[in-house]
Amino acid sequence: MGKVQLQISRRTFLKSALAGGAGLTLAAGQLQPALAAPGAETTTPWYFRGQIKRTYSVCDMCPWRCGIIAHSVDGRVFKIDGNPADPKSRGMLCARGQGGVSFMYDPDRLRSPMVRTGERGEGKFQEVTWEEALDQTAEKLLAIKEQYGPESVAVFGHTSGEFWFADYFAQAWGTPNAAKPSSSLCTSPREEASNLTFGFPVGGHEPIDWEGLRCLTLIGSHIGEDSRNTVMQDFANAWARGAKVIVVDPRFSSVAAKADYWLPIKPGTDTALLLAWINVLITEKRYDADYIAQWAQGFEELAAHVAEMTPEWAAAITELDAGLIRTTARVMADNLPQSVIMPGRHVTWYGNDTQRMRAAYIINALLGAYGREGGIYFNKSPYIEAYPHPPFAVAGSAGGCSAEPGAESAELPLGPSGKARADGARTKFLRGATAMQELIEPMITGEPYPIKALIVYGTNLLNTVPNPERTIEALKKLDLVVVIDVLPMEHVAWADVVLPEATILERFDDLWTVSHKTPYIALRDQAVEPYADAKPAWWMARELGMRVGLEKYFKWETVEEFVETRLKTIGYSIEKLREEGGVIVQKGKPYLADFKSNSPFPTKSGKIELYSEELALAGQDPLPIYTPTTEPPQGYFRLLYGRHPVHTFAKTQNTPLLHQLNPENDLWLNAGVAASMGIKDGDKVYLENQDGVRSGPIKVKATQRIRPDAVFMSHGFGRNAPQLSLANGRGASDAALISRYALDPISGGAGMRVNFVRIVKEA
Amino acid sequence: MAINAFLLDISRCIGCEACAAACMTGNELPAGTQYIHLTEQTRGEFPTLAGSFKNHRCYHCADAACVKVCPTGALYKEDGMTRLNREVCIGCAYCTDACPFEVPQMVNGRSSKCDACASVTKAGGEPWCVRTCPSDALRYGDRQEILAEAHRRVEAVKARYPKARVYGESEAGGLGVIMVLPDDPEVLDLPANPDVPLLVNTWQKVVQPAALGLTALSVAVTGVAAVIARRNHMQELKQLHAQQAKAAPEERQE
Repeated sequence: MGKVQLQISRRTFLKSALAGGAGLTLAAGQLQPALAAPGAETTTPWYFRGQIKRTYSVCDMCPWRCGIIAHSVDGRVFKIDGNPADPKSRGMLCARGQGGVSFMYDPDRLRSPMVRTGERGEGKFQEVTWEEALDQTAEKLLAIKEQYGPESVAVFGHTSGEFWFADYFAQAWGTPNAAKPSSSLCTSPREEASNLTFGFPVGGHEPIDWEGLRCLTLIGSHIGEDSRNTVMQDFANAWARGAKVIVVDPRFSSVAAKADYWLPIKPGTDTALLLAWINVLITEKRYDADYIAQWAQGFEELAAHVAEMTPEWAAAITELDAGLIRTTARVMADNLPQSVIMPGRHVTWYGNDTQRMRAAYIINALLGAYGREGGIYFNKSPYIEAYPHPPFAVAGSAGGCSAEPGAESAELPLGPSGKARADGARTKFLRGATAMQELIEPMITGEPYPIKALIVYGTNLLNTVPNPERTIEALKKLDLVVVIDVLPMEHVAWADVVLPEATILERFDDLWTVSHKTPYIALRDQAVEPYADAKPAWWMARELGMRVGLEKYFKWETVEEFVETRLKTIGYSIEKLREEGGVIVQKGKPYLADFKSNSPFPTKSGKIELYSEELALAGQDPLPIYTPTTEPPQGYFRLLYGRHPVHTFAKTQNTPLLHQLNPENDLWLNAGVAASMGIKDGDKVYLENQDGVRSGPIKVKATQRIRPDAVFMSHGFGRNAPQLSLANGRGASDAALISRYALDPISGGAGMRVNFVRIVKEA
Repeated sequence: MAINAFLLDISRCIGCEACAAACMTGNELPAGTQYIHLTEQTRGEFPTLAGSFKNHRCYHCADAACVKVCPTGALYKEDGMTRLNREVCIGCAYCTDACPFEVPQMVNGRSSKCDACASVTKAGGEPWCVRTCPSDALRYGDRQEILAEAHRRVEAVKARYPKARVYGESEAGGLGVIMVLPDDPEVLDLPANPDVPLLVNTWQKVVQPAALGLTALSVAVTGVAAVIARRNHMQELKQLHAQQAKAAPEERQE
């Protein structure tokens, strides 16, 4: 990645912010109470300083979206708690949620709209008014539409306001090229595998019926490091109740330390293990035969398919003990149907990920888990009408973990000029939501048709999309780059127009509707006024829409009006929702017994499709197979990446409170390997990948907790944005080192665990 | 008067650090300050491993060394918790030397440590860390009830961790943080038999009345005295350390 430097010509506001300049007390002044000398400190706690205002909203510090109550005094938020009425938070929050206040008061925030004055990437900007920024954006968008059609505008969206740009604006405007990293860079394989097997996607919340669960199997899921609040709560309760825990991971993760069985698998071989487990369940007749007979089709084909895939066969591939493979399969079976393999979340690993997910789901089916108490429930969307806008110019297919079920499997939508998505859907890959990484190439080559403009909402482009060098090449070629964000992330330097966004605590927003065991609707109320000149996404989308001829979609003037209209369809009002604690919980249909005549599995056969006719017709393997992945070259380690519990993606590394808890990532390196290389715990090293990309320095954590053939680091560090005063230059960047990916031919997911690094000792 | 305690279930903690973050934001701790520190612990060799998280925080000792050495009463016991009134702290830092767990820190010239969210709990709330813990590894309440819960949990977790035990019931005269440990305290970086350091008792009974009686008086007049007292104290402490180092081996072997 090139050096990214933001220079703002009007004045160097960042320096003045740190020095406590006029008008900036909100951020810098209040973040750190003045405690210069004894006696200077205020000892009255915030909750005694005045009337406490409680505001119901939904956390935006990770994509899990717990219901929160923001506590503010005199127009300043001091503390966020979980909303006890919310089915996800249940009154608790993780560290990141607790850091929401600090995220909002980060003195490095973008404070004004800006337009580029230098070359792209130089980061030279001038602060302008909203009128100027929006007028300029609208004018360029219309010119591009005129010449290339509306499909030539791509929209990338992430975080909780993504709906307004990646869904609402993009569909009103008429581009099918709207993408969310939560699809092809995260969950697409698990969603598509679920669609193919059961006829429905997983949805946002992995539907494990935790209360009665007796055996949990995790494959590359890191509960605790991935600190999704509800999952940690549910896991802790199940574990304390004595539920068996089987963890498959090349790394002794936090949750592996809680496991009854830890399988330190060779990276990339998970499907072989899964197939061997299927083999044991079937050959030892330990599966739920009645359930399979009633609800599944393709069992005979499956049994024949795995006949030779014994634990001994898998042991040679996975480097696990065959006895351990057999034992764990039996433990899973002993506890059926309250026994599940968790679907996982970030499952774009090796490019054959849909097949691996199918293998895991087939085990869940053999265990009879779907629709059974203590197994996997059927989630359901809450009942509420959408805002009655006129029909959109193009149907949505961005998907994403917050999308309504079914969005991924929609028919391939066509734009107003008759163009389908430019990401190669149905040619490069079979099905799935828009593949963000496959929209980069058309920006460079103009094939299958040119993409000339990119609106980036809340997506950390250069830390998220694999091969950031290629992304920069694309950014250079575009006619218009609009970046909407809260912080001066790396890609901001490549924008023509920068629009500063209000955080969740500073804006009222559309209702949060959650597909769940108990479907629910949550209010997103505003706690305090936005920082500086930041604005909410709904306002930006509307103002832009009004300037580009989309008035008919924006008849509503405020988002409150939009929400009030929706709430009326279920006999509610904003006021009533406020009075009732910010959450409406509805009844679900979680179990088989809740389905009378119609099948809960809306597949073609109405059954669980162990054997997939659809995959067979498309020339893909109708039953999961194990495909070996590339091995690390001599002297290289496989690069594994994951989470630290106090950070989310590449979003929170500059948040002062979370930065203090974890200022930089470290490199997990097997202690024996480290010793043989003469590397000590705490040594600083650089990493160089198979393509010569370097990142670091990063501190080595010489540990027994990882296999000798892989290294691990948490994602989101090694930042190269000088305006991120805390995060810049700390640790190493996995994103920079992921210069390659393997495209999953079924889901379009980008498998990113196919990069290898060697360790370069610091000179 | 109620005697309260925390429950800290190390067997259940999954290291998410929500407690540390909630404490920082709820208590408006200045940048750089934390009352709770989590550290990953690993035992064994790949692939035969055990792991846990050390949760380093004020353990609210019943027989608190910091309270004993505090010359101004800034540190005091209340409801079983060790409180700190920063307004009367003179910054002598005796507490930072005396604490066997190295808990109090000097922040902006005054002692700083967990006070068990005194004003929150007095208003009927739970400490911030307890309130947010997603793993139910933290609780706060009547010490007897907390002890009973700790023993219940130990029994329940023994199937997984045969060496599980309660820690803090009597150690160091009884801690205000009752821990559920998955293993022996020594391997979890906790002293098997923590005691208020010998030197603290000596300090309080002998040195403090003699050496600090006058300086404590003058503190009210001038802060310079605190600096002098601190310097004197450090010298005395070194001497005591030296004496104790000789005496300790015999006395500790019982």
